Amino acid sequence: MIVAALVLILSTALFFFYFQVTCQKILRRQFDREYFQSIAIANRLEFPSLRKSLEEFGTPVDYSRLRMMLKCDFLALTYLLKNAANVNQRYSHEERLLILYFRWQFLSLAVRRLLRAGENKAILKLTSVLQYFANVVGQRVNAVKFGNLTAADYLLNL
Amino acid sequence: MDSNLASYILQYAGYLLEGGLVCYLAGSSQWKRHRATAFYVSCLLVAELSRVYALQKFGLRSAQYLSVYWTTDFLLVISLFILVCLFFRRACLHEEKMWRFVRLLLVFVGVLVVGISGLTFSHNYSHLFLRFVTEFNQNLYFTCLVLNTLLYLLLQQIESTDEQLGLLVCGVGIQFAGPAATLALLHLTDHEHFAQSLGPSFIRLCTVVMLLVWAYAITRIKEKAIQVSRSKNPILAEVTAD
Repeated sequence: MIVAALVLILSTALFFFYFQVTCQKILRRQFDREYFQSIAIANRLEFPSLRKSLEEFGTPVDYSRLRMMLKCDFLALTYLLKNAANVNQRYSHEERLLILYFRWQFLSLAVRRLLRAGENKAILKLTSVLQYFANVVGQRVNAVKFGNLTAADYLLNL
Repeated sequence: MDSNLASYILQYAGYLLEGGLVCYLAGSSQWKRHRATAFYVSCLLVAELSRVYALQKFGLRSAQYLSVYWTTDFLLVISLFILVCLFFRRACLHEEKMWRFVRLLLVFVGVLVVGISGLTFSHNYSHLFLRFVTEFNQNLYFTCLVLNTLLYLLLQQIESTDEQLGLLVCGVGIQFAGPAATLALLHLTDHEHFAQSLGPSFIRLCTVVMLLVWAYAITRIKEKAIQVSRSKNPILAEVTAD
């Protein structure tokens, strides 16, 4: 009984550990340039400023507003991932995994908020997922030529 | 969704992924570099197809299916151990001294698992093979989980830049940890209905996630020459050469 409980605890911990490491390894992918900025400007996304304020001043904004900002950015970016310059109109496998990771981190943010521990770390992880999504969207849009339209113009007309 | 239906969907998705991965590796020039992955995925595919064949031909409760199931399970766990050993070899490609130590450790661990599992012979004489195989599979499976974690820590320690290997190891970790947790939960809850209905689906989901992570690592991560951040030529040798 004790051995089984130990195996359960250890294996569950390792499962979440490997899941997190896998997602972080995918997030570490290098893009040839920073596409996320133009996507964020075109769609009025707030995660870059949130990340900047957190990295520079270390103080998160009002919690309910923060959750709303992250959620809105997430919804906008997942919509764009599926529909902007995406011929298949569906997410790739790694995007699905990262969506799951985002939801998990979002839940973890609420728990950390309750426990008052490592809140900023969770916010940074969430913004890094959003940055990755924005980079993927930007790269896809950039790969498709739309006459004289820039990536930002294309997205504004979407 | 019905858990049986989910389990079937995941099972067939697994077959497709396994077949696709084997075909991709066979068709590309990466077979040699990913021989460990190709070996394990091929074993997985052959084992699962054999089980399906035995199930169709003899039925779920037949002795033949039982023996095919446990024999393939036995071979799969051994191939998992070989896979972890080959990953260790790849991690220590430029670390011959470390590889000599790791090789010794792996042999020792293998012998230890066989020895401990062999203890079943001493106090039970009925269904010897089945008892030994069950015990051996459990022990080796958990040992592989621990070894895989050690491999991950080793990769961090030597600051390996082999991103592909890192992801392959993470995929194996998910495949090991998920089923181990599920089987422990099944054991603790005494095979309660909810655990028993979710267990097989979750185990298959872990296999599918592992295959997806591997597919991502093989197809998307650009192949780099394996470098270890430590300098191959010691600074002292460079100084004396001048």
